[in-house]
Formats: sequence, C-alpha cells, structure tokens
Amino acid sequence: MSRGTWFGTLLVALACGWSAPVAPAQDMRLGDLLIDDEKWELVGEGYTFTEGPAADLEGNLYFTDTFRGKIHRVKADGTVEVFVDKSGGCNGLMFGPDGRLYGCQNGKKRIVAFDSAGKETVIAEDVQSNDIVVMANGAIYFTDPPNHQVWYISPSGEKRVVDKGLGYPNGLILTPDESTLVVVDMRSADVYAYRVEPNGDLKFRQAFWTLRTLPGKLDCGADGMTVDADGRIYVATQLGLQVLDTSGRLGGVIDKPQQAWLANVAFAGPKLDTIYAACTNRVFKRKLNAHGVRYFDPAKPKSAAGQ
Amino acid sequence: MNPTAYSRLLRAAFVAATVMVAGPAWAADDYALGPDSERHEGVPAGAVTKYSWNNSRVFKGTERDYWVYVPEQYDGSTPACVMVFQDGGNYVDAEKAFRVPIVFDNLIHKGEMPVTVGIFINPGVIPAAESGKAARSNRSFEYDSLTPDYADFLLKEILPEVGKQVKLTDNPAERAIGGISSGGICAWTVAWEKPEAFRKVLSHVGSFTNIRGGHVYPALIRKTDKKPIRVFLQDGSGDLDNVHGNWPLANQQMASSLKFMGYDHQFVYGDGGHNGKHGGAILPDSLRWLWKDVLEARGAQAAK
Repeated sequence: MSRGTWFGTLLVALACGWSAPVAPAQDMRLGDLLIDDEKWELVGEGYTFTEGPAADLEGNLYFTDTFRGKIHRVKADGTVEVFVDKSGGCNGLMFGPDGRLYGCQNGKKRIVAFDSAGKETVIAEDVQSNDIVVMANGAIYFTDPPNHQVWYISPSGEKRVVDKGLGYPNGLILTPDESTLVVVDMRSADVYAYRVEPNGDLKFRQAFWTLRTLPGKLDCGADGMTVDADGRIYVATQLGLQVLDTSGRLGGVIDKPQQAWLANVAFAGPKLDTIYAACTNRVFKRKLNAHGVRYFDPAKPKSAAGQ
Repeated sequence: MNPTAYSRLLRAAFVAATVMVAGPAWAADDYALGPDSERHEGVPAGAVTKYSWNNSRVFKGTERDYWVYVPEQYDGSTPACVMVFQDGGNYVDAEKAFRVPIVFDNLIHKGEMPVTVGIFINPGVIPAAESGKAARSNRSFEYDSLTPDYADFLLKEILPEVGKQVKLTDNPAERAIGGISSGGICAWTVAWEKPEAFRKVLSHVGSFTNIRGGHVYPALIRKTDKKPIRVFLQDGSGDLDNVHGNWPLANQQMASSLKFMGYDHQFVYGDGGHNGKHGGAILPDSLRWLWKDVLEARGAQAAK
C-alpha cells in the first residue's frame, strides 16, 4: 500500500463515524494525472481570442473564436471546421441533454442553443453572461460577471438570479453528480462551492478552495474551468491550469500551453481523456490520466470515488 | 586498500544505502498502550454523551456528531478545565488508539491532571440536497485552513452549547485542544489565532505541511511576537512524505522554531508512521506534561 493510499485510508477511517456518504479524502498527486511524454499539442491557430471549449457526445470539441464570432468544431481526425459562422458573440459553451450546444451569447445579451445544423434558438434574453453549465435535466447555470451574480434557468425555461456578491464570477462547473456548483471569482484567489438544491437554488456558499496567484498579485486571473470523473476541478488561471481536489486542496499546477491568456478548458476526444485548452490565438490539447464529465452522458464514466 | 578492508567498505556502503532508501521501513512503530490507557477497578468513570451539531453559522450547511465527557469528579460548582479534540469520534473511542475518556479517568483520579471536560468533535460534512449524491467533507477546510474560523466555531458555537450543561473555565491556560494529522495543525491554529482563548496544544503527527498552506508556520513562529502557548508535538520518522510535504521534516521544523522562540514546548520524535500508535502510547505522559502547570498554579494558590 502506498503512503498516499494509506493516508487516504486513515482519513476515511477517521471519518467512519459519519452517517452521510462521504467522498473519501483523496491525495491527488499531479503525477497521477500527467502521462510521461504527453505534452500540449497544437490543435489550431490564427484565431483572435478562443473560448468556450465543449465536447459533444462523440467527443468532438467545439470552441469559439470570440472576436470573429465563429464557432469551430475539431473532429476526431484533428481537422477544424466552422460549425457556426455568425455566433452573435458567443463565449462559454456546453452541450445539453438534447444534443444542442448552449452558449453565452453576450454580444446580444442572450443565452442561445444551436442544433446540430448550427441553427440558433433563443433560450433567455436581456442577460449578461460569460460561462455556462447545462445539467442532465436541461437546467442551466451561467455567470454574469459585471453584475456579480449567477443565474439559473429551470428546465421549463424560467430564469432567475440564484447568487449575488462575488467580485467577478467567471468560470463555473458542477461536480460529477451535480450536487455542488463551483464558481471562481476572477478578482480574488477564491473558488466557491455551493450546494445545489432540487429547485436550482444555491445554498451554503463557501470559499472552499484557494488558488495560487502570480507573484505580487492578489487575484488569480481565473477564467473557465472543467471537472473530471474523480471530481477534480481544473481552473484556467494566469499561473497555469490549477487542479483542485474534492477535499478543498490544491493538487498542483499544469503549465499553460503558451505564455498567453489561458481562457478555458474542457475534456473531449472519443474517450474524453484529452483536455483542450483555449489559449488566446491558439487551441491546444493534452492527454491526461483522467476522464471528463458530460452530465447527460448515459455512459458517464464512474470514478474510483464512486461519484 | 586490502580486499578485507574493501569488502568492509562495500558492506558499510550497502548498509548506508539501505538505511537511506528504506529508512522509515526500519522503523519499528511497535508502541503499546500502558496501564493508564486501561480501566481499573475503583477508578470512577466519567460520563460520555453523544450529540450532533447541525446548524453551524461559521461552517454553514455542515452536520457533525460530537461527544462530551464529564468526569465523575466534576462537582458542578467549580468550572472545569476544557480539552477539545478534532476527529472526536476517533479520540473518544475506548477501543482505538487514544481512549481519551479512560486516560482522563485514570489521570484525574490520581490527581495528575485537573478535572477536565473533554469535547470530541467530528469534522463537518455538507450532505447533498438529494439522497444518493455525495456529501462534501469539510474536514480539510476546517482543519487545514490558516484562519480563525475553527476557533470561532468553538468559541461561538460549541463551548457555549456545552457550557449550558457544564460549567467550563474561561481561563485560556486551562483550555487545551488536540488532534491528529490535520486535526493536529488545527489545534495549533486555534491557539495561534486565539491565544486569549486556548493556550494548550497537543499535536499527533500534525500536518504542518502544504495541504492548505500550513507549511509556513515554522517561519511565522520565528518572526512573530511569542504567544503564550504550551504545546506538545509528537511525530515519527516513518510519517508521510507526499504531495503536500514531508511530515517528519515539518514537525522537526516546528520544534526547532518553537525552541528558537523559547516556547513552552515538548517534542517527542519516534519511529512511527502516520497513525495514532505512538501518540496513543504516550498520551498519559503528554497530558501530565500539558496540565502540569495548571496543577502547580492551583497548588501554589492553595498554599497561600
């Protein structure tokens, strides 16, 4: 038994008096995640400002070229094609259970969905938005940084503000079982956890994780984030891709693919084991010893932690 | 060099290499509990009662169990000393490594520690809103954070609640706090943040490592006005060396900084691993040392 496992076992043993099911404390070494000889690989370049990486059910990766207003698709063979020519200024993207690609169309102050032909449908209007997460039941959370709030759109389409007060809420993601919403405040080093209520309300906001910042900075410059099947949270920050564990700990920092603004990341590929990074003018990918999460995916990979 | 000397040198090099590579594996970690951790006839047993605390304001949404030990010698008139334990379910258990209620019974009976109420608190969990989904453990957040939050939780929530049924001292020198691993650094953080409330610390294989930034304590101690904390640290050469840091080195750094600043401290460094065996075996001695000053102060008071 490795010491790491031993430590985990001790923590679980200490926790055995608890009645509620608890994810075991995990000693998540960065080394467990990285694969020897797997480095960042270039996927595409020549874009203005890339954002919104998202995977469909086949594992194709979509991203926005924000200032040109296009949404691109990276196919399994690595070719990049235009999926939507006029995105209306889309930023964060994520696929929903209906197979549509949901987007933060901040250029038109809307949340929209694109079908497989790229045809757009308006989901919500008169909202500012940055990043989006779509639940298995079709409900949506998205951040509204300038107004310091987080929105919820119910499966039946009603929108309402469910959190206020963060400095600049930017990236957001759900834990694999959708029990916890995670939101990063770009203007601090704090990553917040909220309990997700059945009606979409958020409860018990807690600055559960602390990010590292660049020397001399108090803010982390965090942008988008994603999650893997073991519950690790990956936050795109200016220091690098920071990996947080389920116990509230920083597990490590993966280098940025290039010295430029790292905007967002998402797992994609046929096995959902490759993380794609939107980093200013380029998109990169890197294979990791981890699997992404699509909340709606019937074949959602199960983690060792049983989440 | 003659062949014999050469072979001797080779052998010595081999042994040295083995020690270096396998160091902790050589550790015996064969600590055993002594008589003060066993029940004895004629020693009155204190009462242990289990409670739960599910409406914390400091750690919103958390639920947890806690246990209160009230010694038989508590007479209801004099405020009792207080000792809080993190991972309370582990410390209060009469079958596990520490068996604190039994040790308290024995030491209080022999007059080797004052009449002390033990408060054994489990870390919080935030249950998911829907059944079948994972609860979030708040343990690392509560124990490993370098903030006054856990001290506030004790002072604003748990101590007032326990104080409704037992008279507890508010003398900081008569309030102790202890724990294992992250619970150990938590004990230190409580006293470090609120020495006006807690001045006695007991740390077993304490995580003075970078789980949530706790590796900075040895440096902070050296450059901070000395605080009136009496602290007992236990660790062993076979303790953890992982992504967060090296426990044996971290505890030695702590002890070195405490010595540098002239803290009232004891550091017992054995050959154990990341468990409670050594800490449990020496718990009676640790408690005798931790509470000695209170007994002396009371003796001096009585002699006046």
